[in-house]
Amino acid sequence: MDTQLLISGVIFGLSIGSIFFLMAIGLSLCFGLMRIISLDQMLYYSIGGYITYSLSLATGSVWLGALGGLVVAGIAAFTVERLVFRRIYERELTFSMITSFGILIGGIGIIKFFWGVVPRPVPVPIETQIGILGTDVPAYRLVVVGVAALVYIGIWLFLNRTITGKAIRAGIEDVEHVEGLGINVSRLFTITFIIAGSLSGLAGGLHAPLIMVDPTMGLEVLAFVFMVVIIGGLGSIKGTLVSAFIVGQVVSIGSLIYAPLAQMAPFTIMLLILLIKPTGLYGSALLKR
Amino acid sequence: MKAFQWWWGILLAFSLLAASRVFLPLPFVNEVVIFSIYTMGCSFLLGRVGFISFGQPAYLAVGAYATAFYLFYFGTNPYIGILLGLLAGVVVSFIVGPLFVRLRSDYFALVNLALAVIVFYLMQKVLADITHGDNGLWFLTNIASTPLLDLSRPNHFFVFAFLVALALWAFYKYLDDSIYGACCLATKINEDKLRFLGYSNYSVRLLAFVIANTTTALAGAMYAVYLGFVSPEMSSPSRAADPVIVTILGGVGTLYGPIVGAFAYTGMKDVISKYIGNWELFIGFLLVFIMLAGEKGIWGTLQPRLEKLFFRKRATTVDGSADSGEARR
Repeated sequence: MDTQLLISGVIFGLSIGSIFFLMAIGLSLCFGLMRIISLDQMLYYSIGGYITYSLSLATGSVWLGALGGLVVAGIAAFTVERLVFRRIYERELTFSMITSFGILIGGIGIIKFFWGVVPRPVPVPIETQIGILGTDVPAYRLVVVGVAALVYIGIWLFLNRTITGKAIRAGIEDVEHVEGLGINVSRLFTITFIIAGSLSGLAGGLHAPLIMVDPTMGLEVLAFVFMVVIIGGLGSIKGTLVSAFIVGQVVSIGSLIYAPLAQMAPFTIMLLILLIKPTGLYGSALLKR
Repeated sequence: MKAFQWWWGILLAFSLLAASRVFLPLPFVNEVVIFSIYTMGCSFLLGRVGFISFGQPAYLAVGAYATAFYLFYFGTNPYIGILLGLLAGVVVSFIVGPLFVRLRSDYFALVNLALAVIVFYLMQKVLADITHGDNGLWFLTNIASTPLLDLSRPNHFFVFAFLVALALWAFYKYLDDSIYGACCLATKINEDKLRFLGYSNYSVRLLAFVIANTTTALAGAMYAVYLGFVSPEMSSPSRAADPVIVTILGGVGTLYGPIVGAFAYTGMKDVISKYIGNWELFIGFLLVFIMLAGEKGIWGTLQPRLEKLFFRKRATTVDGSADSGEARR
């Protein structure tokens, strides 16, 4: 394999990993704090993608579209949280999994209703190529990686430097104690869910120019995002970052070596990691339930 | 007396199913019967053992492809094909089972999904030389006609599928009433207590896993013989939730649930996609509604009313608690 192919492969893997990271971080936070598995994050991802498509068609700017996707996905997440998740936080994990899957399927139906079933292309906002070590790499992919890095820093600052963030971190350790300190846990849950939904929407908006948006785009990434969350360990932000990086690289480098490997290799790695460490790389066994 | 009521129930349910054969088109009833076999395994895992599996298509495909390979390359007897599909299900569950059942229920769901994806790409790309990739294997003409029940004819196939479903139903009923069934429920509700009683959670779960997934593989084998063709589409991850949806729709952990659910699901799919065309919308929100309304499903809601109606006794079996698996006992 020559260097040029390898470099573009690594960049491709980084950008894919960044998208996975943006989505997995929401899932991970939701699991850590609320103990729910929120499959409907894939719906906010699709919504983000479609809003980006519509807004970029209307205004001509994909960036504005991605921003709109972020906002609309956040609003959708807020609505769903208020209508559905509010009632099921106390239930067991499988319950939230099935319910959120229902929301995902229903949401796909709504998307089909508004935009139809035909895949739609979204223009790439930056066409320029940047040379890295003598290889031309699409600049847009680097921007995606940059945005993911910014989000990671932002989330880190939010969780470590603000009171709300600190409360969320404390809630991941023990929700009842946080409640005992007089913090409004219910509002904390809503905030976390909106953050998770918005980040998924952003991921959809950023991913849209790289693929075509179609109603089932959420189902296509579902398996990969879950893999990222599982390899990293449910509830751990750092683990999510590491495993998103691993999965992205395995998908991209794997496809360079042998095409069918791209889809299968990550799953094999996931099985291996789970067998060695059933809680994932950074997941703690102390998590209750 | 109690036993009489069960058998009465069985007879009623299955005679309704048999009667529906007269009024409804044959492909539809066949689909319902196979789908209910497909769902029985998932319902058992979810309702009895507390494991939700988003990877049932993997085992479906294992059974289907084992049957398809036999019928495409080696032989012509559909019964041997189905038997091989069943065996393949047992073998695969015994290979992956020991690894999977040690995991927590949420991880379990997702590694199963991962397995479905692996099987999908295995059949679509990696083994494309023998599975013919996306084109699938077509072997309808290879299926020899057999005496007594000729599986190559849809109306005979219905009788066969019907008998298999009945046998499976009786088998699961038997499991439910045995000590093993109680162990399964115990491992769902409180695994520590089961350990104190001297049972091994691991072996109870492993056996449940093998039983459930063999049932699913059997359904796959029957799909293969019925349709006369298999394709990787069978284990496509986007269909991973079908059995889970049907299980919830029918009522988790109830014995009639799979049949009622399969009937309702296939029916709605046909009717809604014909008249409205956007059936995900409907099924998704129905799922959410059922979950929020107490996750009892169609059968779980109907059951106490029917009992009231027919047996003129106070319905005490379903107590409206979250745990309908417990309720059915």
